Amino acid sequence: MPFPFHPAGDDPVPAAVRGFARAHADLVALHEDPIHLLARHRAPGRRVGLVSGGGSGHEPLHAGFLGRGMLDAVAPGPVFTSPHNKAVLYASRAAAGPDGVIHIVKNYTGDRINFGIAAERLRMEGVDVARVLVDDDLATDGLDTATGRRGTGATVVVEKILGAAADSGAGLAELATLGADVAAASRSLAVASRAQTSMRTGEPAFALDGRLDYGVGIHGERARRSVDRPPTEELVDRMLDEVVAGLPDGPDQVVMVVNGMGGTALLELYVLAELAAAGLEARGLERVGLLVGTFVPALDMAGFSLTLTRMRPEWTGLWAAPAQTAAFPRTETS
Amino acid sequence: MTDHRPLDQDAVLARFARAVEDGHGVLTDLDQHSGDGDYGDNLRAGVRLAVALAGRGPQRGFGALGEVFLDEVGGTSGPLLGLLFSEIARALSYGSADTAAFAAGARAGLTAIQRVGEAEVGDRTMVDALAPAVTALDRSGYAAAAAAALDGAERTAELAARHGRASYVGERAKGAPDPGAVGVALLFAAVAAVAEPGAEVADPLAGRA
Repeated sequence: MPFPFHPAGDDPVPAAVRGFARAHADLVALHEDPIHLLARHRAPGRRVGLVSGGGSGHEPLHAGFLGRGMLDAVAPGPVFTSPHNKAVLYASRAAAGPDGVIHIVKNYTGDRINFGIAAERLRMEGVDVARVLVDDDLATDGLDTATGRRGTGATVVVEKILGAAADSGAGLAELATLGADVAAASRSLAVASRAQTSMRTGEPAFALDGRLDYGVGIHGERARRSVDRPPTEELVDRMLDEVVAGLPDGPDQVVMVVNGMGGTALLELYVLAELAAAGLEARGLERVGLLVGTFVPALDMAGFSLTLTRMRPEWTGLWAAPAQTAAFPRTETS
Repeated sequence: MTDHRPLDQDAVLARFARAVEDGHGVLTDLDQHSGDGDYGDNLRAGVRLAVALAGRGPQRGFGALGEVFLDEVGGTSGPLLGLLFSEIARALSYGSADTAAFAAGARAGLTAIQRVGEAEVGDRTMVDALAPAVTALDRSGYAAAAAAALDGAERTAELAARHGRASYVGERAKGAPDPGAVGVALLFAAVAAVAEPGAEVADPLAGRA
């Protein structure tokens, strides 16, 4: 048994999705075959449906962000595996507004292809589709591959800002441009002190022997390097240096997400948030939003990621707008 | 390109299904050489479901193939083929089921596959067979398209993959053609055999048993 409390059989996703839908029945409705979840309420002025999805194991992403002010539909895949295009298609059909749908896609090959096939099918059916690709992970910047930066923690920022804009009645092209701009203004970096438990073996997916993997992905992809563990203050400082340096130029206002990777105590995350907030101030950056918690984990990996989004003045109101979802906190400090 | 006889889609499906059954072992071997080995299984499962679907109701050959490959086949190459089948079905459904309609559908399918999969000619994918087939179809008809698809598939044997599972084995994939490209060659050979029964069409499986 790979995890101690799994159901009989080896796929925890269907039961987990049913449990989620039961727990949040006021917010979401579950549809099976293929599995997808729909928000029960949407702003009356919304013209475009917001659809996301991806592999499971990153909870509360994405189903936790279904609801007014954020997503309209979600297609969860198997653990660390893209949903089938059919699930994305059904979710998108159900969510489409009069101006079509936006697909919010994390930059992984499987997600790109399955959302892409669903988009082709939607267009054949006469539904307009645009894609917002989230690619914020600095650890995969400039690698010798054509795949580009992975999509990680910034997904929450993109979904929040796009959700608020969609509520205000923005059209498809406007949302696609906004989403691309927010993604382009975001960078993340993640570290792990202990790997996630392997679904197959029940053991840690890789051994760290007291070191720190610097630049892990959200599917438990190992970093390119392991480093000796520096004091936490130094670690946060170094990560902030890199994330800030990775941001495009612009105003000195940022939203920061301090995200747990699944096996990190909230007590630690708040410590990290405090250190990072001080680090931002020392760098002359003004925080207009701070999100602390577990939003985009890699199962139970012990670690955290830092995400910064360089905010334009017109985005701060969208970030601060209320969201009625299972997982996005309705208030945040500023 | 002045053939206005309707293409017998069900005959194409039957012939393609038979070729896939015959080629299952070859396709599996090719995919074990360069990928994860399930291409033959996925393709065979898809054509079997399509034959069953076409036998049950109003869905014609390419429509059944499109629906099944998009909805029921896992992985990525199956649903990408589903886009091709669907675009062909859509083009043929406009009524003028002639060579020009088929060519327009195949071209739309190629465009969709490239939009989604982002593969170019030379990347060692199904596009290496499909793109030359579409070009030949426009100019010279079904048998020429089948020859071009087979030629394109053969050429992938000298290519290292940049996309898909085969990209992980790099140079080691060389020496044998890409199974996805061979699958496309099988499709175009089936179409040519039905649409131009008199023409000489090489068997993409010949010499690979």
